[in-house]
Amino acid sequence: MENNKKKEYIKIMSTLIMSLLLILFTQWIKLLKNPKSTPITIETLTGLIILGIFSVLGIFIHSAVQKFPFKIIKDFPILGWVSMVSLAGCLISPQVIKAINSVDFLSITTPILTYAGISIADRLGDLRKVSWKIVIVGIFVFLGTYLGSAILAEIGFLLSGK
Amino acid sequence: MKNKNFIYLFIFSAIVILAAEFIGIKVIMVGKIRISLLPLVFALGITMIFAIKVFRKGIFQKVYSKENVKFAGKYLIIIMLPLMARYGADVAPKLKDILSIGWIFLVQETGNLGTVILGLPVAILLGLKREAIGATLGLGREGELAYISEKYTLNSPEGEGVLAIYIFGTLFGALFFSIVAPLFTSLGLSPEALAIASGMGSASMMTGASSSLVAVYPHLEKTIRAYAAASQLLTSFIGTFTMVFLAVPLQKFIYSKLVKEEKNGK
Repeated sequence: MENNKKKEYIKIMSTLIMSLLLILFTQWIKLLKNPKSTPITIETLTGLIILGIFSVLGIFIHSAVQKFPFKIIKDFPILGWVSMVSLAGCLISPQVIKAINSVDFLSITTPILTYAGISIADRLGDLRKVSWKIVIVGIFVFLGTYLGSAILAEIGFLLSGK
Repeated sequence: MKNKNFIYLFIFSAIVILAAEFIGIKVIMVGKIRISLLPLVFALGITMIFAIKVFRKGIFQKVYSKENVKFAGKYLIIIMLPLMARYGADVAPKLKDILSIGWIFLVQETGNLGTVILGLPVAILLGLKREAIGATLGLGREGELAYISEKYTLNSPEGEGVLAIYIFGTLFGALFFSIVAPLFTSLGLSPEALAIASGMGSASMMTGASSSLVAVYPHLEKTIRAYAAASQLLTSFIGTFTMVFLAVPLQKFIYSKLVKEEKNGK
């Protein structure tokens, strides 16, 4: 059991390192294509390491709170913990913000969507099972949540005079 | 690592990134509306195209091996962590701004009921019955999936509905929002409001929606990302409550009204 847990952690850590390397790779490609895009400096490498540290802290908090009796805290996603750790870290030090900002934002997103595409590979067939009706419903459901939130936010902005 | 095909996956992903980045940002004009397609959309597109069975021969069979696809699905959340960590740097400098209009963030959470208000009538109009309950409760992410499977099991019609939306969202969510989000600016909605709406509980959909907004309003980049990330964080905190205490009762109410009226109409 203990051994399995260790293996899982090693796998998580190596995946995280792979993710950081792919971000660096993407930023480098962006630079090759457009020399005016975000440069790669010592600051960028520091930023990547900080992103890695925040991620690891988020993972640890998530597994630590599994012992808590409250379902809402147990179910709170790792992604949420990581953004909170990062928010705290960025509030404490402007240097951290500076380092993170030297990691190009869109360079983080391309690798993610690449793996997202691969992850759904075996489910493409399911789409045929899902009838066209569900696709139409899906479009309205998605529009519904987005428009609903946007309209309420817009009204909020109008009321607050911003 | 025991998975000997992993290296193919890794190299393939690097090549996909290379190709997607060299395509770069493409702007399509549909009438007067600008649609910016970002590299992330091309990356998603390329990997989905090669996933089609016809292409899965030889080396691609190794890239899309069972273990590799499983790895991508299971560890996608880990690959996403640096993105979440990146948002701290967007939110922190804007925290004062965000707190000053904090109530707007709270109020717009109820906008997620739009799935019921807009989706449910359409679903019933198309002839769906109990499937509609599962399909329109929310975006069909893990939260809804858990709720429906706990209450109705996934083998029920409700379960089928939520699974169908789950699959639809997984396949097209990010793509859908990256194209649609900027379109709403032509309805007169401000980019700030659309940014807040982008945090709807799915990290990849938020990324799609907010990134393409940034492409249209580069000068608002910091604000858009900060608002989207803050809203996303809030959704992950209170999303379950909104679903259980607001969406479920509202859905029951509208469902009973609509289904009854239909009977009377016949």
